[in-house]
Amino acid sequence: MDFGAIHEYLPLYRDALFLTMRIGWQGILLAFVIGLAATIILHFRIPVLRQLTSFYIELFRNTPLLVQLFFIYFALPKVGLRITPALCGMVGLGLLGGAYMAETFRSGLENVPLIQSESAASLGMSRMQAFRYVVLPQAVSSSIPGLVANVIFLLKETSVFSTVSLMDLMFTAKDLIGMYAKTVECLFLLVVFYLIMLLPVSILGSIVERRMRRAEFGS
Amino acid sequence: MKKQTKAALFGLTLALTSALSMTAFAGDSDKVYRTVDEIKESGTINIGVFSDKSPFGYVDENGDYQGYDVYLGNQIGKDLGVDINYVSTEAANRVEYLKTGKVDIILANFTVTPERAEEVDFALPYMNVALGVVSPDDHVITSLDQIGKDDQVIVISGTTAETYLVKNNPEIKLQKYDAYAEAKTAFENGSGVAWANDNTEVIAFANENPGYTVGIPSLGSNDTIAPAVSKGNDSLLNWLNDEIVSLGKDNFFHKDYEETLLDTYGKDYEDTLVIEGGQPAEASTEAEAAAAETEAATEAE
Amino acid sequence: MQSLGLDVLFKGTNFLRLLEGLWVSVRISLISVVISILLGLVAGVLMTSKNIVLKAAFRVYLEIVRIMPQMVLLFIVYFGTTRVFGWNLDAEASAVIVFVFWGVAEMGDLVRGALISIPKIQYESAEALGLTKQQTYLYVILPQTVRRLIPLSINLVTRMIKTTSLVLMIGIVEVLKVGQQIIEANRRTSPNAAFGVFAVVFLLYFLICWPVSRLAGYLEKRWAA
Repeated sequence: MDFGAIHEYLPLYRDALFLTMRIGWQGILLAFVIGLAATIILHFRIPVLRQLTSFYIELFRNTPLLVQLFFIYFALPKVGLRITPALCGMVGLGLLGGAYMAETFRSGLENVPLIQSESAASLGMSRMQAFRYVVLPQAVSSSIPGLVANVIFLLKETSVFSTVSLMDLMFTAKDLIGMYAKTVECLFLLVVFYLIMLLPVSILGSIVERRMRRAEFGS
Repeated sequence: MKKQTKAALFGLTLALTSALSMTAFAGDSDKVYRTVDEIKESGTINIGVFSDKSPFGYVDENGDYQGYDVYLGNQIGKDLGVDINYVSTEAANRVEYLKTGKVDIILANFTVTPERAEEVDFALPYMNVALGVVSPDDHVITSLDQIGKDDQVIVISGTTAETYLVKNNPEIKLQKYDAYAEAKTAFENGSGVAWANDNTEVIAFANENPGYTVGIPSLGSNDTIAPAVSKGNDSLLNWLNDEIVSLGKDNFFHKDYEETLLDTYGKDYEDTLVIEGGQPAEASTEAEAAAAETEAATEAE
Repeated sequence: MQSLGLDVLFKGTNFLRLLEGLWVSVRISLISVVISILLGLVAGVLMTSKNIVLKAAFRVYLEIVRIMPQMVLLFIVYFGTTRVFGWNLDAEASAVIVFVFWGVAEMGDLVRGALISIPKIQYESAEALGLTKQQTYLYVILPQTVRRLIPLSINLVTRMIKTTSLVLMIGIVEVLKVGQQIIEANRRTSPNAAFGVFAVVFLLYFLICWPVSRLAGYLEKRWAA
């Protein structure tokens, strides 16, 4: 192990971590918004949009991010649609994640028993009120484990960003190996930095999950 | 539950530290390479080439490997009397493939540099190369000073162009790609102001694609391209050197050029690019010698 | 169709080569899934153990799989192991190892979940009938878990097929790499090949994964009832 090299590469990995986190979280935020919109469209059975949304979800859940990025970044400019690598990373992650988020929210909604909306209706709530105050909070809490899993999944998926020339953690490692051939050091740093990025999310996720489960069962 | 988490965290730390110490003490493991006899015995040689770098190493529409490097590879297989297994490689993986013995020879337009020579052994050269920069006709870059603060130059990860620019022009923003096909498509799509690579490659690109000019035809030092083998594989290295010298007697590399590169470069570059029999012209007089040879050739015609 | 670059697909054996590339991906994932299911059953049973060391070891294992991108694992196995241990794995073997490493964790966890969801009374009844522990697992518990596991493992197949797109990074010529090669070989004659080729690759993945994940969904619904 060459600790001099490790010391020298550290700033590069740090920059890569920031870039991965920035684009990763932007993408996750976008995924959250898309997923929520898709869920609402599906839940309220809005015509036309509903079919389009289902198609979108199936399409992006059944193709790899790498292929989606290839298509968005390399193919679309051929028909006149050009975007920057950073935007491409964010949009790609957002579209992929949106499809997964929508599925998670949907199963969260399905977990809320029908009797809940019926009871809300019998209390004189409107459909919107029942959704907003009764169904949604329960759906969100039962979606939490799925959401955490999605966040981790999406942050891991950033490892294919090299394709669109984004210097994420994976590409930084590959690039340094290509230039200086210090494979062991580069892979070691790679593992350490992924742990730095994802271990806190994973641990936090387990804690929140446990809290939620306890809350669900009441006092 | 708490106890379990603690134990798991402890285990994770333990796993990491042990992985670290294992790697720390792992010396260079036993020989990873195969000698000429071992290759002959197995009946197959593994050669790392590009599969997306036309006209040096690419795959044609029938799925066969083609190009200047591959032409040499085919000859090597024939002379060794073994089958050839071409392994598709990316620029950044080339050293790694040899260090891990995943291929016997790299024939992937591999420029000889002192840094690489520490990691692998180069045989005699078979091609001249320098760096070059190509840019679109409407904004030709003829000097690196023209590259603005916010402009990005496309390079391929693990190439000499990347190393050169990182070392000598750290202020230039690079847009790096894994593969040739990706870099070229991105360049066509206008994602960067210029593309820096081996000059052979950028000249080929400008010749084949209208709308592009090589504004900087030569950058950095004049280098050579050679086959490479794993460090210490003297038996294969010596065999390759003998092979290249003896092939030179039949003007093999000129034939190679005429078969694979003529369409792209025309006659003019033949003597500047090709190194016959492993004997490059003296670096300082190389350009003159090449010019003189070209003249002589023209006169002869 | 010249402008969209679809014409290159019909040149020579190009389209066939794309399909062959896709088969490489499918083959790697099928092999990995089969091994994962077999080892996953064992791992799942072990995960229900009360042994604290075993429990912690599995926690670490699951956590590593959970947070390390498959791409990182691929690089470590393909390049790292040769450097450190001197093993020389070919690219496909490395891919299978990484996918099995991942698959066993997922299958194991699913098996564990399925096992603990089986009411305790089943174990007790089996014991009352005089079945040994092995017999209980083999004849009572496993048949019930398998039903729950089949849809989930079909699901794993589609996720693995999708993840195989990464193996081009360790030099396996699969469908994306074939696509790049086609684009490169035809750059001069069809400058827009990138659109046609990548669109087709996108579609091919969808056509493979979509029916399989539909099947998984269908079985899950049907057998849950």
